[in-house]
Amino acid sequence: MLEVESLTVAAGTFRLRDVNLRVPAGECHAVLGPSGSGKSTLLHAILGLLRCERGRVRIDGADVASVPIERRGLGYVPQQLGLFPHLSVRDNLAYSARARGLPRAGFQPLLDELIAATGIGQLLERRPATLSGGERQRVGLVRALASRPRLVLLDEPFMALNASLRRELWWLVRELQRNWRLTVLLVTHDLAEAYFLADCVTVLLDGRVVQQGDKAEVYGRPAAAEVARFLGVETLQPGRIVERREGLVVVEAGSARLTALAPDGVSDLVLVSIRGEDVMLERESDPPRIASARNRLPARVVSVQPGSPLLCVELDAGFPLFALVTRPACEELALQPGTSVTAVVKAPAVHLLNRTK
Amino acid sequence: MTLRRVTIAAALAVLALYGGLVLSLAWFFSGSALRGTLLSERTLFSVRLSLMTATLAASLALALAIPAAYALSRYRFPGRELADTVLEFPIIVSPAALGAMLLIFFNNPLGEWIQENAVRFVFSFAGIVLAQFVTVLGVAVRLLKASFDEVPVELETVARALGAKPRYAFATVTLPLARRGLIAAFILAWAKALGEFGATIMVAGTMAMRTETLPIAIYLRLASADIEGTVAMILLLVAIGLTALYATRKMLGKAVHA
Repeated sequence: MLEVESLTVAAGTFRLRDVNLRVPAGECHAVLGPSGSGKSTLLHAILGLLRCERGRVRIDGADVASVPIERRGLGYVPQQLGLFPHLSVRDNLAYSARARGLPRAGFQPLLDELIAATGIGQLLERRPATLSGGERQRVGLVRALASRPRLVLLDEPFMALNASLRRELWWLVRELQRNWRLTVLLVTHDLAEAYFLADCVTVLLDGRVVQQGDKAEVYGRPAAAEVARFLGVETLQPGRIVERREGLVVVEAGSARLTALAPDGVSDLVLVSIRGEDVMLERESDPPRIASARNRLPARVVSVQPGSPLLCVELDAGFPLFALVTRPACEELALQPGTSVTAVVKAPAVHLLNRTK
Repeated sequence: MTLRRVTIAAALAVLALYGGLVLSLAWFFSGSALRGTLLSERTLFSVRLSLMTATLAASLALALAIPAAYALSRYRFPGRELADTVLEFPIIVSPAALGAMLLIFFNNPLGEWIQENAVRFVFSFAGIVLAQFVTVLGVAVRLLKASFDEVPVELETVARALGAKPRYAFATVTLPLARRGLIAAFILAWAKALGEFGATIMVAGTMAMRTETLPIAIYLRLASADIEGTVAMILLLVAIGLTALYATRKMLGKAVHA
């Protein structure tokens, strides 16, 4: 278990302020933020490379302030992996055991099991420079896990890979994490990676925690406009609450009116946040497919932006609204600039944020 | 003229300069003088003395330079800037001045005390080693710092995270990765020590069969107008130096890791 309490760390002119974080044993927690947000600083503080100005870091309950890196029980996989170029894969994997002076019998069974689980048995005599990107990642992971870490720190380790290889490694990491009940802190700027691997997410912006919680919650209900922007929410539109009743509110956005679930602690001036995949498009003439949906907005297609895997359709629904659709759906609806459609958005998908000026 | 031609011409000019200097020795070359010089006991003593002092001085210099260069490469500490700047000091002040400074030091009370109670440096074997050590130390640190700078700190962090104490990480990751730099630094320090003259003559003088290193032997022969003998000694020094450099190149070639 990792507990970070009111942590303040200075790194040069940058300062990470008052970070609280808790990763229960056996869970994967992602710290999500753009570059320069303080992710690496946080990681370096947990590693023990940076001194904490205030607050503390506990691993399995023990304050590690005075514990040197080598006795913190960490499995660290940095972005560049840090494979030792002068050692064979076998010696890289055995490094931790040798450094600790463990007898061979003590670590070999676990190592063999990890080697089998990741399929790197053929690579043991090779030097890291001769490995492919995916092979290097596997070796880096196995080396970190072979030391039986109490906490695994992953620092954007999949960024150098192509998309399909990355997905393959995500699966592998998720499987390892679940099977071995690893406690993992993943640092990344990739929303998809965080969503795939993590149970909970902390969003870090400018050295501060701006949102923390279950990944679906953070994904669907960003706590602030800056979070929504960072997470790439397609539609962010200023609006005003004009009616409140029975747990629902009506919001005026542009010339349209939207029904949303009544939010907690939100004033009348709001920012409407709608994820592109929560907007469904129907032909104007079609009978409603989802009768329960509160919002059926007549809209006109402004543009269809090419994208992969989904296309982004910009709509004029009385305000700029963006929908993500699959290619077949786009063809079936014959979407092109000028096409009239009905945009359907369920009330819970309309997320309201406080608008500050 | 293309850049290619100009630069190649410059490279060949360097070769012509040094090669020409060696070839010009042929004018005064005498086979019998060479044989006589090579077989004399005095020459053999000089060769032994030079090889021993240079090896000892280079080894001692590296023993101090390795930790010093590592600290300069990795840590921030008071005096770091100054320590870094002073590395070129021996080159700037010239070996002769350096030797004179050593001699002056051994004439102050502390220096005299060391001479009386610890080691006699003036006019002695230890003095030659000290003079060479002081001359080559700075450049050895400079070279080693450059090679430690090239070893990513992150690899040390990873080693530490994997359970290695700082010394273990240094010995198993940093040193092996800086190996080429280590070898190069030793060879350069050794070659510089082998050819060292200015500081040595100041501290240790020119006593035959006691402090007569190869460069000093060359100086003494030339001073007594023994041109053939001088040429023979120079050829000897060139042969030893070039053999060592060639061997190093071979070793470095093998040390290339992927």
